[in-house]
Amino acid sequence: MNRHRRRAQAHRLAVHASAFILLVLVLAPALWMAQMSFRTNDDIMGTAFLFAPTLDNYRALWTGSFPASFVHSLEASAAATVASLLLGVPAAYSLARWRFRASARVALWILVTRMAPPIAFTIPFFLAYSYLGLIDTVTGLAIVYLTFNLALVIWTMRSFFEAVPRSLEEAAWIDGCGVWGGFLRVTLPVSMPGLAATAILCFILSWNDFFFALILTRTRATTAPVAIVNFMQYEGWEWGKIAAAGTLVMLPVLAFTFLVRSYLVRGIMAGGLKE
Amino acid sequence: MPVGWAAGQRRAFLLGLTPSLAVLALMTLGPAIYLLITGLTPLTPVHPATALDFSAPLQNYRAALSSAEFLNSVRVQAELSLITVVLQLAAGLGLALLLNLPSRFLEVLRTGFLVPMVLPPIVVAVIWKVLYTPDISPMHRLLAWIGMPVHSLITNAGTALWAIAVADTWEWVPFTLLMVLAALQMVPKEPEEAARIDGVNALQLFWHVRLPYIQSTLVVVALFRLIDSIKAFPLIYVLTDGGPGGATEVTNYYAFVQTFNFSYWGYGSAIATLMIAGVFLLSWAISRLGGSRTIHE
Amino acid sequence: MAAFGRGIDRRRLLSAGAAGTILPLLPGKAPAQGGKKQLDGVELNVACWSAPYPKFLAAYIPEFEQATGAKVNYETPSFPIYNQRMDIELSTRSAAHDVINVTFIYCGRWIGAGWVTPLDDFIKDPKKTPPDWDAGDFVPGTTAPFKDKDGRLNAVPWIADSQMAGAARYDLIQQAGLKLPDSFDDMAKMLKTVNRKDGVAGFAVENHYGWTFIPFLQGFGGDVFRKAPTDLMPTLDTPEAIEAADFFSGMLRDYGPDGVLSYTYDQVVQSLKQGRINYSTSNETFMVQLAAPDSKVAKTCAFSLMPAGPKGRFPNVASHGWGIPAGSTKKEAAWAFIQWATSKDLLLRMFRDKGYSSVARRSIIELPEFRRKLTINGFDVAQIYLDTLVLAAKGNTVYRTVPPYPPVDREIDIAIQSVVSKQKSAKEAMTQAQANAIAQVKRAGINP
Repeated sequence: MNRHRRRAQAHRLAVHASAFILLVLVLAPALWMAQMSFRTNDDIMGTAFLFAPTLDNYRALWTGSFPASFVHSLEASAAATVASLLLGVPAAYSLARWRFRASARVALWILVTRMAPPIAFTIPFFLAYSYLGLIDTVTGLAIVYLTFNLALVIWTMRSFFEAVPRSLEEAAWIDGCGVWGGFLRVTLPVSMPGLAATAILCFILSWNDFFFALILTRTRATTAPVAIVNFMQYEGWEWGKIAAAGTLVMLPVLAFTFLVRSYLVRGIMAGGLKE
Repeated sequence: MPVGWAAGQRRAFLLGLTPSLAVLALMTLGPAIYLLITGLTPLTPVHPATALDFSAPLQNYRAALSSAEFLNSVRVQAELSLITVVLQLAAGLGLALLLNLPSRFLEVLRTGFLVPMVLPPIVVAVIWKVLYTPDISPMHRLLAWIGMPVHSLITNAGTALWAIAVADTWEWVPFTLLMVLAALQMVPKEPEEAARIDGVNALQLFWHVRLPYIQSTLVVVALFRLIDSIKAFPLIYVLTDGGPGGATEVTNYYAFVQTFNFSYWGYGSAIATLMIAGVFLLSWAISRLGGSRTIHE
Repeated sequence: MAAFGRGIDRRRLLSAGAAGTILPLLPGKAPAQGGKKQLDGVELNVACWSAPYPKFLAAYIPEFEQATGAKVNYETPSFPIYNQRMDIELSTRSAAHDVINVTFIYCGRWIGAGWVTPLDDFIKDPKKTPPDWDAGDFVPGTTAPFKDKDGRLNAVPWIADSQMAGAARYDLIQQAGLKLPDSFDDMAKMLKTVNRKDGVAGFAVENHYGWTFIPFLQGFGGDVFRKAPTDLMPTLDTPEAIEAADFFSGMLRDYGPDGVLSYTYDQVVQSLKQGRINYSTSNETFMVQLAAPDSKVAKTCAFSLMPAGPKGRFPNVASHGWGIPAGSTKKEAAWAFIQWATSKDLLLRMFRDKGYSSVARRSIIELPEFRRKLTINGFDVAQIYLDTLVLAAKGNTVYRTVPPYPPVDREIDIAIQSVVSKQKSAKEAMTQAQANAIAQVKRAGINP
């Protein structure tokens, strides 16, 4: 028994250690950028370990339009994520459980909406939005992000739902729950890790969009990625501001992920519904 | 089960599916039609009359398929997509298996691993531009210091595409990691515990117990990485501009330059249509091979 | 997010003196004489990319607002963003903006397609433009690109972006007993001697070769088209063109820093200022930065005209200008803004207050104080600037303004990349570029 536990502990330690080392390696480029944001402009590419850090770059960000663009990104991404989950999750469940003949084809056509390169949609959307007055609005952006995240939500959640044994739901149906009752009581709690992961992904993909934000916004709804490109000026890139902005833009998403990390873990319900 | 229950069930499923289909149809049918129609004209906004010039409807397609630059871009695209999807799947799966241990420490670490994907792509491109510029790159300096100096990777036709693939993999491995990890977490406990009591080793555990549950997620991840790889843009825009000499000019980049720098909207639409058709065929093939199945007990 | 023009307090704080300098420039009665403010209640949307001049201009806009009663929404996104947005907007004849920047590389397209308003009527009308605004003061080389096929002016230049040559470590060149090269041969000789001395790479230019290669192409006797703008047959595979490509690529390949093909304009300037590369043939806007306070090479920089080839000296000059979109509904107000923003008075104040020197007005360039300010380390950069503008007036930059040029520009980029990265010989690369360029010109609907 003791040997077994000791081997398990050694295994845990090995995993923790290698995970940590891997993390540092993976984060090295991002950490490089973060440290760049604390350097003064004339030493921005310096490699000396010891340097006098400065908050000038962050302070410079505060004047100008960057804070507003940050808020716009938050609004558009949050709205799009909530909307695409509300619409996409039920659709994914229907496709997973409802065995109708055309289901595979419908799923594939849903996927096609995501296949088009951005250039295919920018001009028609620009023309349509100009006509509808949605140019330079957060709402307009949120609608676009919702559209292109739907395929992702539907396909990924479908694959998660398919991994849930049908017997669990059938038990709930026998108990008298309707389809959606069974879904809410059985399937969804078990699929929490998948749902949390999909939500995070939706948020990230909306947050990081550049192309549509470039074409569909001007000054009132600029988002963070576009604001960052504005630091690449003609006489020289403002590396300090780019690094500071890049670091700041990471934080909300990391915070969000950190907060929902418990949902990413195996749910308590899994396997406990045999009764 | 009561009679009529099946009909009720069908209604319920329809209710769940319709809103999404409606939104997608509304938002994408119009642009799709626009794409098909403009692909048949030599539309360029500089000459508005070209919008309705259907005299030679297949001219764009003929021009593309006989253009050496377009054909080169397809080859480069195929190469890049293959490399990045394979690398991302392998690395993501490996990392997910490693981090699957129940542990609060790992829960915190997992958030850190998402950083590359969380950064805006343009920032990722800028970071890697610095990393790939020998004069200012800590990576190049480190390599030179340990005696393995390396010349600029992005200006050498042989290594430029691999350089982009590495940066792209760094950026998107978290996608695979996030999804596969979630799927692993959803594998029910009993089969795993039963297998462990039976004394199977790690490889058997993975192959026979876990894989069936995460298989369809793996296929979906591969599909989405493939589709997104076709849209690769910021890295190429910032690092190589499609060069040197077209060595990293993927089809999406070629189409972008034609559409936005040269204003050949009709030609760009035709290329976009070709791209969608290509991806569609590939996706159809992959989803058939991967298959989607419900787990029965 | 126009930061300017929204704060009433700012306007109240401005001295009446500022208004006093503007009013004589705008015809009509001044408010003090009982007239209503000229543009009361008008809202102007102005956009330009974020070059130094537009950024400096932002500080003066409140004066304009106070004097005219207009409200100005001013935005200055970065270059690629500005161009993408403006191209789409203009092509759909949007009325979203009233004053825009006509970017040099797009002026052929935008003006040729009639997306910008001709300005001659505004200029000639004494009620709209005071005579001392002096339209003839602009150096001809800077207004030529903005003339449409009927000879009407479609934009007023606010910059003359000229090419010149300069060295960051002139001390190394002097140590070798040499001076700044005046011919391509001298350039090759100097670079061969000085390359890698003190760890400093010899030569680099930004990787937009459709711009940086042309002076060499023309210096060897070649050109992009046979005779732009009338004869648009590309001439990229002539023996002169191939010789030029071979020479230019060789300079980059043999004397450039590692990875020179990836050097954007920003990287070239930074490397020069940090003393990591020595010689470059870049825009004047960049070269003068070598003397900036944060430059490590302020004491060792040197400047000269673009070197000459066997067939002459051909520095290129690009100009950007203010224009009025065809779809604007406030063209008169837009013109009031444009002629204020390019008036002698304002430009002179901008030079004195902010040090802006890339002006297109001859009267300012010829001022003694201008010359004094631009004398760096004993080099008369003002004279270099003036001489370059005169040289460019001969019309060697016209090729850039013809509508099919952007695709041809890219072919040149690709060709030079192929030669520097040793994928093709100069002959192969330029022959391929020629074939592609002809196809592109044909596709633009022109029979070369």
